[in-house]
Amino acid sequence: MQEHIGAYLPVLAANGVSVRFGGVQALDNVSLDVGDGEICGLIGPNGAGKTTFLNAITCLTRPQRGSIQLSGRTISDAAVRDIIGLGIARTFQNVGVYGSLSVLENVMLGAHHKMGGKFVRALLNPVGAWAEEKAVRRQAEAILEELGMSALSAARADSLPYPLQKRMEIARALAAEPRLLLLDEPAGGLTHGEVSEFGKLITTIRHSRKLSILLIEHHMGLVMSLCDRIHVFHLGRNLASGRPKEIRTNEAVIAAYLGRSE
Amino acid sequence: MRNSVVRTAATIVGFLLVAALLPVCLSGFQLQQVSIAISYAIAILGLNLLMGFAGQICLAQGTLFGIGAYVTAILNATYGVHPLATLPAAAAVTALAGLVVGLPALRLQGLQLAIITFGVAAAFPQLLLKLGTWTGGVSGLPIDSLEPPAFLADYSELWLYLVSLGCACVAAMIVRLVLFGDVGRALRAQRDSSQIAEALGVNLTKTKLWAFAISSALAGLAGGVFAILNGFISPQSFLAPLSITIVIGSIVGGSTSIVGAFVGGLFITFVPTWTSNINLALGNVIYALALIGIMLLARGGVAGLVDRLTAALTTRSNPNGKAGQSAN
Ligand SMILES: Nc1ncnc2c1ncn2[C@@H]1O[C@H](COP(=O)(O)OP(=O)(O)OP(=O)(O)O)[C@@H](O)[C@H]1O
Ligand SMILES: [Mg+2]
Repeated sequence: MQEHIGAYLPVLAANGVSVRFGGVQALDNVSLDVGDGEICGLIGPNGAGKTTFLNAITCLTRPQRGSIQLSGRTISDAAVRDIIGLGIARTFQNVGVYGSLSVLENVMLGAHHKMGGKFVRALLNPVGAWAEEKAVRRQAEAILEELGMSALSAARADSLPYPLQKRMEIARALAAEPRLLLLDEPAGGLTHGEVSEFGKLITTIRHSRKLSILLIEHHMGLVMSLCDRIHVFHLGRNLASGRPKEIRTNEAVIAAYLGRSE
Repeated sequence: MRNSVVRTAATIVGFLLVAALLPVCLSGFQLQQVSIAISYAIAILGLNLLMGFAGQICLAQGTLFGIGAYVTAILNATYGVHPLATLPAAAAVTALAGLVVGLPALRLQGLQLAIITFGVAAAFPQLLLKLGTWTGGVSGLPIDSLEPPAFLADYSELWLYLVSLGCACVAAMIVRLVLFGDVGRALRAQRDSSQIAEALGVNLTKTKLWAFAISSALAGLAGGVFAILNGFISPQSFLAPLSITIVIGSIVGGSTSIVGAFVGGLFITFVPTWTSNINLALGNVIYALALIGIMLLARGGVAGLVDRLTAALTTRSNPNGKAGQSAN
């Protein structure tokens, strides 16, 4: 299933992952890899198991079978809260923002794993906590600036329109300084013109941080133009993977999207 | 940012002004009552951290308050420790007790946690009676009265007031430090969505237990202060409804507010007396109406209402509104 191109070092390598929810086999023996510095697309019709796969990588769902490795290290049995510190940050399909917190606070939460919520330090070394807070705030403000959201930093997160909440989630994920960024339909709710602008933004942040990205998207134009490689899931299985132009002409993929079974 | 610094400064100045005026305006007895209210406010401060910011319900705050009071009383009456010197011990012992009370919170939430913690509150007075050898049983324990320093020799009520106020300031400072920065955000994050918080690396177990420990430490400190103010305690002071009363104080004052805790403490100390002064037979009814009225008028408590009013006056130019949870 996987093709290895040149000196190919996967940041993420998932092998034979299966997830079952009661009677639903959401993932059946799927494998997927993301190379260093690569943008990989993950596409497939609704219910294909894309979100479930992200949940499996981030340990929110425990696969019944399979292995998941980050830069060669097995992470499938890590604690949920350790994933972000290992270098994987994500956004959620149905936005996972804190509505009652400000945009800036949401983004600063992305850096939580580096500070670790130390109560003793907060109580006994307030000066240190204050200095750290200032540094984290500056970093978060820089990210918001980069994403063109500076003016919104003091606004309540739930006062933002849906696409901006999604963008804020990306800002929060970036504040975690991950190696691998998992985006679950980040362009949802964007208009046609905004989608291409969004594509440019992703390219920029990828190059400025040498990020590897796994992108779930239904906007085919965006996926095709942005991704180095694309993995296709269908009914919980690997259907195809390859370069955008291979995927675009793949018979099985076309059939799946037209709703016929192979 | 600047805005919130100004607001915090204004709040502190206003608070100190009121605190300085009270001894001038009030009689000795009234000042004593205010001191009691401040001791409740310290317990409410803890509960605000736990309930308002960490999202955990605890219907045993009055019990933890009682544990602190008994630690102070036992150390003083039995071992002759100076009353003020017992306060750190009262806070520490109660923090440990609070950790035990908080253990179920690692698995349970909401109503189930409410019932379990209230069970603790219901059992506490009888436990005190059973442990009569230490607690003095029904007859309770006396606490040495505080000797004011020489320059306040004739103003013992004022001295007690200053002591309770000082403890309250320490408590408020502790809450403020915990709510500041990363720790405060983690608390609120796990309150609003534990799943997202965990994905962001928040250690839910650690965060909840710390919230319980700090909240309980403040309840213990509050109880110690209460014992000193009263000069005598018995199981009668720590019946189960006290825990509910403290929750009411928290909600009426505004459970995500530091100043609100003081409003709540004053409310639960004075309003029941006032309403029964209006009409002895209907006192409880008037009290209930007052509670209902406040909840209808100000869902975020008195502090929430004040926040909304000032926000309406000051941020008309900002259509998005400022994010809440200012913790003033
Ligand atoms: N927690 C769950 N419990 C039961 N079934 C689930 C659960 N999560 C997902 N499923 C099922 O697993 C299958 C895959 O769902 P998933 O959300 O991963 O699809 P998806 O590819 O992300 O789809 P979409 O494009 O609509 O987001 C679906 O049939 C879904 O109903
Ligand atoms: Mg999905």
